[in-house]
Amino acid sequence: MAETTAEKIKYRILRFLDITGFTVFDPMVRLAFGEEPKKQTEAISKYFLIPILFVMLCTGLWWVIAPKHKTKSGEVPTPDVVWRAATINDTFSSREQIKADDFILSGSEREATLLAVTELIATREADLEILNQALAQHEADYAQQLEQRIAPLKAKLATLSGQNRELRSVAKAAITEAAAQFEAGQVASEAVVAAVRNERQVYADGRASESLIKQAIEAIRSEKYKPMESARLSVNAVANELQFLNKRVDFLSDSNRSLKVAEAEQKLAAQKAELAAATTAKEAISLAKRVVRSEDSLERLSGQQYASAMTVYKQIQRSLFTVFVGFIMAALIAIPLGILCGLSRIAMACLTPIISIFKPVSPVVWLLIFQIVVGAFFLDPDSHPLFLFFDSLPWLGALGINPALIFSACTVAMCAVWPALVNTALGVASIDPDHVNVARVLKLGFWDRLIKIIIPSALPLVFAGLRISLGVGWMVLIAAEALSSSDGLGKFVWDEYQNGSSFSFANILYACFVVGGIGFLLDRMMIILQRFVSFDGGGTSL
Amino acid sequence: MAYLEIKDVHLGFGTPDNRTEVLSGVNLSVEENEFVAVVGFSGSGKSTLIALLAGLLQPDSGEVMVAGQPVKEPSPRLGIMFQNYSLLPWLSVYENVELAVKQVFPDLRGSALTDHVNRYLTMVNLLPATAKKPGELSGGMRQRASLARTLSMQPEILLLDEPLSALDALTRGNIQDEIIRIWEQDRRTIVMITNDVDEAVLMADRIVPLTKGPRATLDEGFEVGLARPRNRTTLNTNPEFRQLRSQISRYMRTLNDESKQLNQQTIVDLPSTMPIDFSVLPNRPAKGRRRPPIFDRETTFFK
Repeated sequence: MAETTAEKIKYRILRFLDITGFTVFDPMVRLAFGEEPKKQTEAISKYFLIPILFVMLCTGLWWVIAPKHKTKSGEVPTPDVVWRAATINDTFSSREQIKADDFILSGSEREATLLAVTELIATREADLEILNQALAQHEADYAQQLEQRIAPLKAKLATLSGQNRELRSVAKAAITEAAAQFEAGQVASEAVVAAVRNERQVYADGRASESLIKQAIEAIRSEKYKPMESARLSVNAVANELQFLNKRVDFLSDSNRSLKVAEAEQKLAAQKAELAAATTAKEAISLAKRVVRSEDSLERLSGQQYASAMTVYKQIQRSLFTVFVGFIMAALIAIPLGILCGLSRIAMACLTPIISIFKPVSPVVWLLIFQIVVGAFFLDPDSHPLFLFFDSLPWLGALGINPALIFSACTVAMCAVWPALVNTALGVASIDPDHVNVARVLKLGFWDRLIKIIIPSALPLVFAGLRISLGVGWMVLIAAEALSSSDGLGKFVWDEYQNGSSFSFANILYACFVVGGIGFLLDRMMIILQRFVSFDGGGTSL
Repeated sequence: MAYLEIKDVHLGFGTPDNRTEVLSGVNLSVEENEFVAVVGFSGSGKSTLIALLAGLLQPDSGEVMVAGQPVKEPSPRLGIMFQNYSLLPWLSVYENVELAVKQVFPDLRGSALTDHVNRYLTMVNLLPATAKKPGELSGGMRQRASLARTLSMQPEILLLDEPLSALDALTRGNIQDEIIRIWEQDRRTIVMITNDVDEAVLMADRIVPLTKGPRATLDEGFEVGLARPRNRTTLNTNPEFRQLRSQISRYMRTLNDESKQLNQQTIVDLPSTMPIDFSVLPNRPAKGRRRPPIFDRETTFFK
């Protein structure tokens, strides 16, 4: 039965989905090609729609429960706040990129962009005026409302404190009376003690009742007034944009690289002319020195880039780079050691205590140890040849490799080496004895046996171990970055936690989702690799 | 002196105080280019015997000699075909055979190598499936691939360890014919382990039964005097074949305790009951119906 092209395409798509592990989209592809529509719609509703509904239900629960829980860092953010935080991060990142581009813009493009930006500023300022007015209006409304709600409570508080003061003075009078009676010998000392205790109690009760009302007032004060909040947000957004646009103007006019370069060239030409017009030798020397210095600074200027601040995307890049460096280090150690352990039982027996003791150690501990031990190699990181070499490379230089990155990578390697090592050893040790017999009958030498039979037979387990290693490494990295000063997603989370701005909590949740998403993609990548090398067609768990 | 000889071999497994003697006092002589079949029950040590012949195991005492030299280690000269094929699952059929050929004939390169490999694949009729991996093949095809690999090493002795026991009867017949055909084309010494007496009588020159383990030994063999080529269809009516087959089967049955029990003649008393005589039961059909003629027939049992 010949396959039509449609069928060929369909089976190719299905095979792609099978390899990448996204078999949940299988029924949709089949439905699109018209195969058994009833069965496919059933499968879609069972395995796609219902899970989507479930996830939406969880999100809904989050939306409902979050505002009910008040923490000292503000409310728990709802999904829309987290989304807004994500867009803010994205805008910031794209703005940094625009600034970097503006810095090196030159010629007529620069002038055209400058014109466009100045016009935009004018419109934005007008918008800001309107929004500020609206905000002022809302603030006035809010203040008025607040006053209305608080006034009765304040009155109640005033009367209550008056009452309490009276009670206290009564109790204090009782103390003096009791003391006088004691002095006169009419009552025992216990009466004085009782009177003092009574006064204390009255004081405490008074404070308690007052503080109840004060708390109520505070609660009302801390309630957010929605229109004012959203007005404030829009004002902030426009103000931020104006600030950005003004900076752009700056980069397009005064701080622009081409302008600065032109200025420097002019200066250089003037200096050269001066040098040419020099009369004495001494003057010539000093002028020549000046010319050389100007030429050097001109060269530096023309290669300058805008040093942008750290954006989330740069941090993600850095984190990914670190985790891959650490993972490759772990793989390079684990695979040969694992093969050795699998082949030789003595080696396995030697390494078992070391593996058992060091496997459960937390990454935090490794990070501190590595900071001390590996830090001794880089006593002066700024002038260490290794870092100078890395900075000079075109792509790695942009990442900014510093000792902190090396510490994080070492920590990742240390924690990720154990699953790969154990699985490789297991894979090599548990080869089918039939394959070993084949090797014996064919009289394969040691290296032939290793490369042709042992390693291919063990590859599925090796890749399973590598997959676990990458997952562990990613988890460990975020923790390590949060603690060390290596810039990355972990540092992003830690900074937000220390920061305490209005979007910190939302940013932390945003980082949580980003870390999870990237971890998922890394895992998928390893699953695909694992599927390519597994010859037993074994499926993988989630 | 025989080409392949097993002299008084003992082999056991386990610790000294808990030892299972699998083979005890085994003797066998195989002439050059003879086809010997060893029949035995499951678990009687057949695979151990073949592993001994191939050099994969060393006997506790006694010797295994091939062409006068003791067998100390496995080598491609003793081509063993395993019971569960032992094809490397990550290589295709072609690559599996190529691996063996490259090992045994390291000087073969390029087109000579390809021709050599393809010749044996054609011999077992697997040419259309050379690029497939063993996981994509059926049991019969895997067995043929394993046979091709063993043959391509051009071993002096072929040791077949229950090669066809995992296959269905039809495929079994096909591959039996192929083995016979290849043997007749290219005579070699073959020692085949099988549990099917018919197969042994069809294919072999001599049948040697392996007694039941532990402490299994090889008894005197039965010579198969049937002329070659043997026709499977006419063999069933050949009196010599039937006599030989029943002789061997009867002998095998005496070896096994369980089948000894089955063999016993026992007389069992049937219970004394009297069947019911249906002819005396009233058989009045419903009004207007004729009585069916079956009830008019005489049905009498013991009265």
